[in-house]
Amino acid sequence: MVALVLAGGGGEALSVLTTERAVSAVPFGGKYRVIDFVLSNCSHSEIAEIGVLTQHAPASLHDHIGAGRPWGFDHRSGGVQLMQPYLTRSESEWYLGTAHAIARNWDRVEALGASRVLVVSGDQVYRMDYRRMLMMHERRRATVTLAVTRVPPQESGRFGMVRFGADGRVTELQEKPRQTRAAHASMGVYLFETAALRELMQERPADMVVDVLVPLLEAGESVHAHEFVGYWEDVGTVASYYRANLELVAPTPRLELHNPRWPVLTRDEERPPVNLREGADVEDSLLANGCRVAGRVRRSVIFPGTVVEPGAEVSDSIVFQDGVIGRGAVVSRSILDKHTIVGERAVVGWGDPPGDPAHAWLDGLTLIGKDAHIPEGARIGRGVVVGLNASFDGHGGEVPAGTTLPTRVWYEGIA
Amino acid sequence: MPRYAFVLAGGLGSRLCLLSERRAKPAVPFGGKYRIIDFTLSNCVNSGIFDVGVLTQYRPYSLNVHIGTGRPWDLDRSRGGVHVLQPSLGSVQSDWYQGTADAIYQNLIHLRRRRIDEVLVLSGDHVYKMDYNVLYAFHKASGASVTVAVTEVPEESISSFGILETDRQGRVTGFKEKPKRADSRLASMGVYLFDRLALVRWLVEDAETPGSGHDFGKDILPRLVARGEHVFAYHFNGYWQDVGTLDSYYQTNLEFLGDHPPLELGDPDWVIHTQSADRPPVRVEHGAHVSRSFVANGCRVSGRVEHSMLFPGVTVASDAVVRDSILMHDVRVGRGAVVDHAVVDKEVRVGDGAVVGEGDASIPNRACPDHLSSGLLVIGKCAQLPANLVVGRNARIGAYVTERDFAGDVPPGGVIDGPQSMH
Repeated sequence: MVALVLAGGGGEALSVLTTERAVSAVPFGGKYRVIDFVLSNCSHSEIAEIGVLTQHAPASLHDHIGAGRPWGFDHRSGGVQLMQPYLTRSESEWYLGTAHAIARNWDRVEALGASRVLVVSGDQVYRMDYRRMLMMHERRRATVTLAVTRVPPQESGRFGMVRFGADGRVTELQEKPRQTRAAHASMGVYLFETAALRELMQERPADMVVDVLVPLLEAGESVHAHEFVGYWEDVGTVASYYRANLELVAPTPRLELHNPRWPVLTRDEERPPVNLREGADVEDSLLANGCRVAGRVRRSVIFPGTVVEPGAEVSDSIVFQDGVIGRGAVVSRSILDKHTIVGERAVVGWGDPPGDPAHAWLDGLTLIGKDAHIPEGARIGRGVVVGLNASFDGHGGEVPAGTTLPTRVWYEGIA
Repeated sequence: MPRYAFVLAGGLGSRLCLLSERRAKPAVPFGGKYRIIDFTLSNCVNSGIFDVGVLTQYRPYSLNVHIGTGRPWDLDRSRGGVHVLQPSLGSVQSDWYQGTADAIYQNLIHLRRRRIDEVLVLSGDHVYKMDYNVLYAFHKASGASVTVAVTEVPEESISSFGILETDRQGRVTGFKEKPKRADSRLASMGVYLFDRLALVRWLVEDAETPGSGHDFGKDILPRLVARGEHVFAYHFNGYWQDVGTLDSYYQTNLEFLGDHPPLELGDPDWVIHTQSADRPPVRVEHGAHVSRSFVANGCRVSGRVEHSMLFPGVTVASDAVVRDSILMHDVRVGRGAVVDHAVVDKEVRVGDGAVVGEGDASIPNRACPDHLSSGLLVIGKCAQLPANLVVGRNARIGAYVTERDFAGDVPPGGVIDGPQSMH
């Protein structure tokens, strides 16, 4: 069994968090990246050969995965391969969809010589032993097995919904239906017989569901569902991403990060222990090595190397690595990307959220892109989106609710 | 220019009491997530030295596990890298290492084909950050056959060190091992840079000298100075600490919690590398209070932690209090328990409501009054303390002690020995 991890998505819905990274590379849970969960699943499931398909802003993902050491993928042969779109004499297209990404790399998949191909999305958070799915797949002699999990009815419009019989055989597959009788969502985890996939790949399909799964189902192939029970989250929207992180600091989180038998593996930087200074006041929070806290932190997830100065307050927020929350600054219901500096006495997440439906996707949250330097004493309203390295000039220290500040390239002002 | 370093890591560290009972001193946990040897190994790689032999002898197991293939230090190389050199049989004069010089002498084979002009000899027992490039440059410029790194120590502690006297050019004119009185306060840091051929000559000579203790500090350096060899001292101004005793171990660790830590551990240009397990971020729960403390990944705190160092994976349950203490990896402190002024080794379990560190601090430990008399108490690895137990100050509770080993509370200065006691 080889695994192909689809990690090319740019995730428009995640706004400035994915301006310079793929959804799979978005930081999660205080020290991880989203893709760590799937790579750890592959590693613990003893899958020795993995292809990671990248397209949108892959630099951070490539950097993160490297030779695959943290997951034990740095073998003499096999291991992890990064599959970025490439030119041939006859083809010059970008990946047009999930299935197309695989079709364009089919030669390399064939070269691995596996009789089965596991296709997984790199954008989801869950712990799963793919070997159990393989066992069911073999027992049922399936052509393709899809992992499914129960979702609340009001969420069915976000997913591919699946109905299946008592024997596990799939009878119906609907992509993001408005209404459905199906209770199970496809998790974006598919196990194919290589031979079946080979044929379809010659047709140059675009989408995994529409151009691969549906035709297989209609052709009467043996398409089976494997029900997964446990935590599974698609973190493709700001609201779901925020909720999934904040759930980790609840008294009894649905996802337990601590699991010595199935640890989440990641590329760890060597940082000193968390340094809680005199006057630190922290509750209900996650803090990673390298943080230094002298202020107040409540219900927040703080990534490595972030500094919370005396008198600063961070609540209900996610702060990525190497941020600085200056003295007396207040950050609430916000997501701060890497290297954000919040000047002294500045307020991030200030006042009332914008009421208009155009900002509903932000759920009242304030998003700060990488490398922002929020001036001393500035007030950044709720529902504000600050682009990467954005300039605050001309705002008089006050950015009203619902404003968007554009991204600037990092070398603006240098070149 | 290829470089090679020997790291002496075989010492007993007997004054560290239980902490080095079952592990070599360089493997003793330090600084909230590190081991003492991490500082020296990180100095090597940060100075561009990627070919290192670590000489072990006493209880090398935990050091072997820690160093492994050398990955964290980028020492897992196809050429060079790190090699653990345990005493072995087979060569002509093979035996246990008799002293620091003998340890290198028995490993001269490693100098045969290396294309190096100098050999760096280091100790794995010290906490410091030093760029060895500066030492190499000094050595070259001074025309020394051996350069000894020295640091100034307070007058009252000269009797713990090798003390050097130098002339104005830095040439060593006198060397006294652990003197009672001396005119100089320059202590040898156990960092030597030798010309390769000179080192070989001197080691062979020393091996053939009857009555020699085969030790660099006691035997070789005084002899070299006495007969006028080119021995130079390189004056190092940074922080350097030999965490020799339990008290100094405790104090040195807690100094890192102050406003002016002796070393910056988070310097991105001089990372202290260590072997770390994959652990989730620190979880500080509802009702917790943590201040003036180091807390490493994998810890979970519901209680109160003040002025303490929590290594990875420590859990402090609700209503528990940890004060002025060092808790190593995976220690569990039960609900309502109190740990005060204690050094607690890995995987110790403190039962609910137990009080560790109580009462009179003036009664020294019954078994080791010399090392345990300041009020500090020490608990060995994997010990299990029953619920509601009271442990007095200066007590010593051995490794692998189980609940059945306690007949009742442990009085100040008391001793509970584990299944394999250190005596």
